[in-house]
Amino acid sequence: MIVSSLARALGAVVLAAAIVALVLLALGASPIGAFVALAEGAFGNWYALTDTVVKATPLVFTGLAISVSFSGALWNIGADGQLVAGAIAAGAIGPWLGGWPRPAAIAILLAAGAAGGALWGGICGWLRARRDTNEVISTIMMNFVAAQLLSWSVHGPLIEASRAYPASTPIAESAHMYMFFSPSRLNLGIVLAIALAVGCYLFLFKTAAGFELRAMGRNRRAATFFGIPTARLTILILTVSGAMAGIGGAVQVSAITHRLYEKMSPGWGFEAIAVALVARLNPIGIIFSSLLFGALDNGSQAVQRGQGVSAELVQVIQALVIIILLAFDTPMFDRLRNSLSAAARPVSRTTTTELSDA
Amino acid sequence: MLEAFLSSSIGMATPVLLAAIGELLVEESGIINIGIEGAMLSGAFFALAVAYFSGSTALGLGAGMAAGAAINALLAVLVINLAVNQVVAGTALDIFAVGITGVFYRKFFGITGKAFIVPLIPKLRLGPLADIPLIGPALFHHNFLVYVTIALVPATGFLLWRTRYGLSLRAAGERPEAADALGLDVYRLRWQALLASGVLAGLGGAYLTLAYAGTFVENISAGRGYVALAVVILGRWKPWGLAAASVLFGAAMALQFGLQALGTTIPYQLFLALPYALTLAVLAIVGGQAASPSALGEPYRRP
Amino acid sequence: MLAARNITKRFGTTLALDRADFDAHPGEIHALVGENGAGKTTLMNVIAGRIRPEGGEASLDGVALPVGSALGALKAGIAVVNQSPMLFERMSWEENLAFGGFETGRFDLATVAANARRLAARLGFALPYPGTTIDERSMAERVRLEILRALSFEPRVLILDEPTSVLAPSELGAFLHLLRRLRAEGRIIVLITHKLSEALSVADRVTVLREGRVVERTRPAETSEAELARAMIGELPEPQTRAHLAGGDEVALTIENLSLQRDGHRILDRVTLSLRAGEIAGLAGVDGNGQSELVEILARALKADSGEIRMIAAGGDAALAVIPENRDLVGLILDMTLWENLMLSRPLRERATRRAWLDREHAIELCAGLLRRFGIRAPGPEISAAALSGGNRQRLEVARAIASDPRVIVAHNICRGLDLAGTAEVHRTLSEFAAAGGSVLLISSDLDELLEMCGRLFVISAGRIRETAVSERNAETLGMLMAGSWT
Repeated sequence: MIVSSLARALGAVVLAAAIVALVLLALGASPIGAFVALAEGAFGNWYALTDTVVKATPLVFTGLAISVSFSGALWNIGADGQLVAGAIAAGAIGPWLGGWPRPAAIAILLAAGAAGGALWGGICGWLRARRDTNEVISTIMMNFVAAQLLSWSVHGPLIEASRAYPASTPIAESAHMYMFFSPSRLNLGIVLAIALAVGCYLFLFKTAAGFELRAMGRNRRAATFFGIPTARLTILILTVSGAMAGIGGAVQVSAITHRLYEKMSPGWGFEAIAVALVARLNPIGIIFSSLLFGALDNGSQAVQRGQGVSAELVQVIQALVIIILLAFDTPMFDRLRNSLSAAARPVSRTTTTELSDA
Repeated sequence: MLEAFLSSSIGMATPVLLAAIGELLVEESGIINIGIEGAMLSGAFFALAVAYFSGSTALGLGAGMAAGAAINALLAVLVINLAVNQVVAGTALDIFAVGITGVFYRKFFGITGKAFIVPLIPKLRLGPLADIPLIGPALFHHNFLVYVTIALVPATGFLLWRTRYGLSLRAAGERPEAADALGLDVYRLRWQALLASGVLAGLGGAYLTLAYAGTFVENISAGRGYVALAVVILGRWKPWGLAAASVLFGAAMALQFGLQALGTTIPYQLFLALPYALTLAVLAIVGGQAASPSALGEPYRRP
Repeated sequence: MLAARNITKRFGTTLALDRADFDAHPGEIHALVGENGAGKTTLMNVIAGRIRPEGGEASLDGVALPVGSALGALKAGIAVVNQSPMLFERMSWEENLAFGGFETGRFDLATVAANARRLAARLGFALPYPGTTIDERSMAERVRLEILRALSFEPRVLILDEPTSVLAPSELGAFLHLLRRLRAEGRIIVLITHKLSEALSVADRVTVLREGRVVERTRPAETSEAELARAMIGELPEPQTRAHLAGGDEVALTIENLSLQRDGHRILDRVTLSLRAGEIAGLAGVDGNGQSELVEILARALKADSGEIRMIAAGGDAALAVIPENRDLVGLILDMTLWENLMLSRPLRERATRRAWLDREHAIELCAGLLRRFGIRAPGPEISAAALSGGNRQRLEVARAIASDPRVIVAHNICRGLDLAGTAEVHRTLSEFAAAGGSVLLISSDLDELLEMCGRLFVISAGRIRETAVSERNAETLGMLMAGSWT
């Protein structure tokens, strides 16, 4: 099972890379050069390696947000906005945490992040449950609102004392995340992320509530018939997944940026979709696929510096990976899939099915 | 002042309405296209790129439409022929478009701050109509794309409800198995809808670069494609409803310039956020999707 | 003359049709009978060009019919009316009929309507008001609209696939009369059915299919229901143990004044009934008169506007198990495993849950035990429900209901789509349940089933319920009651 999942993930990435190589050739850049730069940028030295982990951390949080909501067929495309909302909350309360002992300060910061994200996700959950508002649209709209809220915050109420840059007052030192192996940027955030991933895994696969969520994801009508409280679950899950993304934002503030800037997320909320799909929505798998995409993100900076190819190339890879995985899980590739895994599941029309092993 | 605001509203509404009309066709055939934002963005970029390098606006418009169609064609393979999850596939294409346009933008236009500008498509004054006070300039002094878009509204209604083709299209979205049993080619109908909508969304994107901004900036579409999705719901899947909802959105966008000109102290971010918040609020008030085609969003595989 | 020779069709490894022959003459109603899965629909789909056979050919008046082309068969004069009407619910009836052959020139709904009305008048029935949508029409009307659409192509052959399965008993007469009129016009009518009484009453000839082979060709005068049943299943059907368990005095379930309104329509109107321990009571009604909503309310998936449900047993909701009508879409989640489907039942889930943790091993063991006890043919608890056959899926649902240890079982159209043996088995299981003291409420539109199984019989029509007197418990009176002669 693990081997076939690995093979599937790597296969998709390799295929995506091949397509991107063609694109690079068309642009007159060197694919070999690009991929070497990518690998070096991602793993080349100790700093690169630790930075890959650092870049993977927010992806774990948003990836978990996606995984938990998608498992319930709740299409949360707003993890970005939820992360930003969490970051704003953290950035707002951070400067005031000077007098607190460090563990408490960090905890409060993260709680603020969770609250911000929970609010952002919860609104959409409530709208879906009570007003039948399509959550794809509502979460996307909230992304834009969050971005503007952030912009206003760093230009306005939260702006740092000298008013010279659009950035917020730095958070108190006591709220700084515990770092490891200075001067690398490795921090406790990744440990928190892994712990959260384990928690999500236990929830989804070991608890009755997780079972109810997955049933709802596969067939909402049947779930409702059997008394599964789909409306309540909708609100709960979107709130919780928003909270997780929000914690991710708070971790960024606490560990990396120490303040708010105009742009806090380079699209982690969208990248998380690729991360979650590669992991087949499995929270433990998300830890690993986050590292993969973190590596890609990290390496792409080097590619941009060295090859003059835009870092957005990595988004092309993300999109291709999603597309390849979607296509791969359809009947057309049944035989290929069967030869890679032991049990083949019959394909049906319920939407969550092909995305996960749940 | 008010005239400028009204005129702006119509102008801002146009790209959204174009995308929304395309999305209406697609949804009537049973598919929900989250990737519409990607089609718009691609249309915007390639329209500008081609117009800039060829010097021809017409070629630019053509390229924009083709780019939109290409993105949708990719989606069509995924959601029609392979019948994959439509939400995820659409989102993937949005990411793809951001990536591809970003990469090509850097490659062709470099990382320099030099702005690449093309002349805007000129406005046409519709003679004496444009002299009517207040609504004259608002409605009758626009570039030709606006008029094309306005004409498309009743045309789409006619196509969908008064032609055999429209009936077949709606049948595919209502109950594809029944349509199949009746001998209709559901795959082909949906393909046609997606391609047509790609052309329209691409054209909407081209409007942004060739008729509005005159240049390309990253993410120039700014979520208009997603707003188009909401517009279809708000307009209750009826062409004139779509038009009204688009104008509402356009007005919210135009408001930002109007009020800035007034020199208020209200932060500009509020106005930037307003269209999205407003869209969300109206969606919440207006409520559900009961008027949507019955089979919307369900992948269909030919038996 | 319609002729099919040597038709063979495989689906994967299953042989659906095995060198089947069939013929029908003009001015004849020919009944094609057989169990579910015998191949009747498949045979007709081959003739109508919807499926390509592996072998054999079909012809009409000596001219070979195009293979694998539904459009070609239609042009050659073969029209099919499907088992459940393939209509577009939200479109108007005119738009639905526009897919027929009522006008082929410029698209004009008025012409379609006019031509349709003419044809309908000739056949003796009326059409709805202009512009009404299909979802507001009754099943009988939908069947008639579908027939109308098929007839608009002026077909030589009209194939009707189980058309009466959705009709109320009271509508049956009019329908069969319509068939006779069509026959009088010289058309070839093929009636696919598993209802032997109907076949015998209206057909000129009967062909019996069993497991893909033609096993008998006969005329109604020369055969009987029992003989046809024997041909259909290959042996004499087991005599049904009469299960009119009237029950004791203890009342297990009371439903009082349940009302429900939706969009201004009254779906349920002060529904009142009670179930006694040890009894099997029936609720007869044509689909769409409020049964589905009643079932949902009993399952606690829907809240009534007013009224009460009282259960004597301790354990409240857990004491009531519901088997819903739509097996594949609501009763089971096909992509989940068998044990996961069992866990859908709240009582079972709660039993397997310890402090919020779902005990997977316990659930799998429970499932394995149930598979054995109810004879469900499956490799194990961890396969997906989609891999089960229809009959086994039904067994799983019944197993799930009984395993939760209820006092009351509510079953809605439980035997739909099951063959004779499967139906008998389900009935036997429910009888045993009642004999052991449980109560069963059988909600069904199948009068044979109800008359056979139930002691007390209620009728539901337009959301209202009424108990029937003993003297009313026969097919004819019940048919009238189901059609709402009392509301």
